[in-house]
Amino acid sequence: MTTLTIDGRSVTADPDRTILEAARAAGMSDIPTLCWYPKLPIVGNCRICLVSVEGQPKLLPACATKVADGMVVNTESHAAVENRKGVLRLLLERYPADHLRNGGRVSPRNEFEQYVVRYGVVPTPVAERDLALRHGDERPGDPMIRHDMSTCILCTRCVRACEDIQVVGVLDVGLRGEHTEIIVGADGDPDRAGCTWCGECVRVCPTGAIFEVMPRERFTPEQIRHPAKVVRSVCPYCGVGCQLDLHVADGKVARVTSPDIELNTPNQGSTCVKGRFGYDFPQHRDRLTRPLIRKGWSKQRGRWAWQGASGPDRRGGPWRTIEGEGQTEKPAGPPRAVGKSVRELPLLERLDLDIRDRGATPPSWYEPFREATWDEALELVAQELSRIKRERSGDALACFSSAKCSNEENYVMMRMFRAALGTNNIDHCTRLCHSTSVAAMQRALNTSAASGSMREIEEACNVIFIAGANTTESHPVFGAAIKRAHERGATLIVADPRKTELAARADLHLQMQPGTDVALFNAMLGHILARGLEGKRFVADRTRDFGKLRDSVRAMTPEVAAKITGVPAEKIKRAAEIYARGPNTSTLWAMGLTQHANGTDLVTALLNLMLACGMIGRWGAAMLPIRGQNNVQGASDMGAIPFVYTDYRTVKDPKIRDEYARAWGVAPESLSLNEGLMVTEIVKEESGVRGMYIMGENPIISDPDIAHAEHWFRELEFLAVQDLFLTETARYADVVLPGSSFAEKTGTFVNTERRIQLAHRAADLPGQARGDLEILIELSNRLGLKTPHRSAEDVMREIVRVTPSWRGVTYERLEGAGLQYPVPTSDSPGTAFLFDVRFPTADGKASFVPVEYAPPVELPDETFPFVMNTGRQLYHWHTGTMTRRAAGLDQREPTPIMEIHPADAAALGLGDGDPARVTSRRNSLTISCRISKRVARGQVFVPFHFREAAANLLTNPVLDPYAKMAELKCCAVRIEPVD
Amino acid sequence: MSAVETQEYAPVFTGKTLERLQEILTRYPTKQAALLPALWLVQGERGWISDRNMVEVGEVLGLTPAYVKGVVTFYTMYHQHPVGANFVQVCTTSPCNICGAEDVVKALLAHTGAKELGATSPDGQWTVIEVECLGACGFATPVLVNDDFVESVTPERVPELVRKYK
Repeated sequence: MTTLTIDGRSVTADPDRTILEAARAAGMSDIPTLCWYPKLPIVGNCRICLVSVEGQPKLLPACATKVADGMVVNTESHAAVENRKGVLRLLLERYPADHLRNGGRVSPRNEFEQYVVRYGVVPTPVAERDLALRHGDERPGDPMIRHDMSTCILCTRCVRACEDIQVVGVLDVGLRGEHTEIIVGADGDPDRAGCTWCGECVRVCPTGAIFEVMPRERFTPEQIRHPAKVVRSVCPYCGVGCQLDLHVADGKVARVTSPDIELNTPNQGSTCVKGRFGYDFPQHRDRLTRPLIRKGWSKQRGRWAWQGASGPDRRGGPWRTIEGEGQTEKPAGPPRAVGKSVRELPLLERLDLDIRDRGATPPSWYEPFREATWDEALELVAQELSRIKRERSGDALACFSSAKCSNEENYVMMRMFRAALGTNNIDHCTRLCHSTSVAAMQRALNTSAASGSMREIEEACNVIFIAGANTTESHPVFGAAIKRAHERGATLIVADPRKTELAARADLHLQMQPGTDVALFNAMLGHILARGLEGKRFVADRTRDFGKLRDSVRAMTPEVAAKITGVPAEKIKRAAEIYARGPNTSTLWAMGLTQHANGTDLVTALLNLMLACGMIGRWGAAMLPIRGQNNVQGASDMGAIPFVYTDYRTVKDPKIRDEYARAWGVAPESLSLNEGLMVTEIVKEESGVRGMYIMGENPIISDPDIAHAEHWFRELEFLAVQDLFLTETARYADVVLPGSSFAEKTGTFVNTERRIQLAHRAADLPGQARGDLEILIELSNRLGLKTPHRSAEDVMREIVRVTPSWRGVTYERLEGAGLQYPVPTSDSPGTAFLFDVRFPTADGKASFVPVEYAPPVELPDETFPFVMNTGRQLYHWHTGTMTRRAAGLDQREPTPIMEIHPADAAALGLGDGDPARVTSRRNSLTISCRISKRVARGQVFVPFHFREAAANLLTNPVLDPYAKMAELKCCAVRIEPVD
Repeated sequence: MSAVETQEYAPVFTGKTLERLQEILTRYPTKQAALLPALWLVQGERGWISDRNMVEVGEVLGLTPAYVKGVVTFYTMYHQHPVGANFVQVCTTSPCNICGAEDVVKALLAHTGAKELGATSPDGQWTVIEVECLGACGFATPVLVNDDFVESVTPERVPELVRKYK
């Protein structure tokens, strides 16, 4: 440690630290900075942080000078202050600062102006200056980010943030001398420069030269500058679990920023476009503000009775089915305002309201409903759920809980279904997400979550192996961390049928045929064993059944696999060797592996590879199934799945059942010992389910073979939906309960690295909408289950009592960066990575489960020559319920598209934007083409966000035998032009 | 979506030009280091460097379009607009100015039909610009026509000079 004196105070610091870091760490945050920013490379070009150091003839930059023993620093010496005034005066010569000339009370608008005011610098009037104000690329017509370069001070933070944090490089410094300006790409078009609209540039800009559009259009400058409050929350989108600061004005979220970078948060201050700009859906006019009851229900002599139509019209309405929507003509993309200066654009053009409403609820959808009171709605739900339980059985009821809802809400939901209704038929979208990963990990390691942390990828791993994960679009903040790791020198291997952004920059891209992953991984493993590169000590000490594995992969040589996968044998061998040599290899995967009818085998093959090389249980060797939704991990942890209570404790064990019965104050017999049905089993005629409660899910868009699912939901005896909007599913409901968005609730969420994080309520609920937790608590009580909890924290206290690995969790301890479970005791710091000593199996060892390659269920043939892949786009989220009502996001991708290879498109006579008909063995839809080399020949990619061209109309409902996952990623289709 | 993939664009780096670039790349430690000569190749082939060319150079060398643009715009000798078939650079730094460089510029603009500095004559033949010091103060006024260095130019010699390159 080095000891120095700063402004008369003795300070100790690591010798690697700079004067600035040492001062800030000691709580002295007064040294002004402009070009310096946490995590950005130091350039030292603004010269405002210069300080006096005794014995040095000249001032030194605090941001770029390392500390030294005995150094005596004066941060506010006369020379330093005079220098700062000089720096500010020079910068002000090109800055529109007339509002700062008024003397007396001046209100600084931004970081830069704060220094101007602090050092009392008076700018010359703009009219008297020789130099004109600066200009630069303005991003005219951009729905989210604009530039007004007249206030740019060329600190280049934005350039470095884009280049070094997000690793995109849209911005740079152009021209020279007095003409120097910030440029966007080669031609001012951010799209062509690869911009992802993450808003990192907005975050770091110290003057507001780069600014957000949306807050300025909805709130006054005063509301934006001085929000009523700033509340810490967790992003409602992917499993990275970025922490966000919600700025609240007028009871609404006015703006989103990301919290202090020094905190050990998953995002370290970054966000992606969805987190930063996708916050406005709770304010959309489609928000449900009162409970809705389907017309036809009426109350007679104290009981609700259905008086309306019976038969197929029972749940009818004035709308097209999703199947019907699929056939409609698709609108072309919106014209974008280009070539005009920001200042010239009229307000309306800045935010095209028509585009915003494209994915919104048509007014006619409300026609079959009447508004109701909460008492009526909850009474009807309670009556019908109880009736079906009484007349049939608890197992005639089922519930889809929500990976978008908090742990507390999922817990109360599963508690209600298990204890009050006596069924384990409770599941959520994990079934269509990582259920196969969980099945495979349970089989091999008896675990259900990631072993490591995202941060170790960035900091410590040497080889990153990514299979079937388009991380830069689906988990963009983590994607950026992977790119930073690659820049730092880690080797990147990507196995993906598509040339995604990461695949394009990877050291090795294994572009295999969809669904042939087992062949690829087994061949890699076979080659590793043939070369003797396996982790011999790890295999001997920590695993079982290695012999069986060795025999199973022998036949799958790289040459055989090359024929099956289409990846050259040489590439497979190189990938295998790099993977095995590590020394620290991290293994990442997502939906590309899991969403197959043999997803469990696909993941198992990858786990075999990982275990054989011993790439788990060290910092830097992480096993990371990248979780899709912000609380899909937590919803599973809370037991919102059919087989287990919290902490993955089986429902079949009477002893465990007794424990939960005691905690919930019910008779043990009222809890079922039978495992319940899963999402994909429930939506089947033979499931026997007649009544459903759905919270925050939209299965009519997300389930495979939608036409069938839609029909099934219409045939239900009773359907209650709790959601923010009248979704495609909710329109078939008997009762719709208006719930709360992420911004309107307090609760905890678990991210992909097992980090439990606390989100606080920021915004007001619209109209009579209620908190999701509040609704569930009241309904539980109405169903006769004593639920005395008064707050989310109350619920957490109960969760902690029944969940051993969460025992040390309290709301107080979750403030800040949260805790990575297991947190078994109140003094446990949480667990950044697992399995350094043993696996949680009976003998502490992991098992190899040999798997054989089996071809995908549907292979292309003459009638259906293409393979269709589905997935996410950067700007949209799942069924679009939220993102299609977020103005900025929806403007970027307003219509459904299908990615198709240029050669295939040419052969079919299709041009960019042309409509095409896509037909699978189940259904067909029309969609417009986007010509792209990201997909290989013979393959097409259709995102599943759009109800007017729902990809899942086409997908194959055949199920994985273990996890009941559907074959969502791979189905054979035919493509024809539409006239 | 990164760069637009559908627009018709004829790449610069094909055939012979690509071979020359590959030869150049062998002389540099990194692809990035070969940016300046790569840009010269583009300007040699196309006469100037368009935004789309910059994107292509970026793709070939693994650099972002903004970075390439930053370099192109930093230097004055890369043309960002089409220039005349003959590109004339006149030194107007102090010593040449004293010796009448301004009149040489006027004469050049009049005789070539380019009319103003930096503009191209209607026949597409001429572009005239001023430059700082061509290093020939003893032979004022020096003029660079394409790669040819012409010394001691006076307004009177301009018509002959223009004829020579027509």
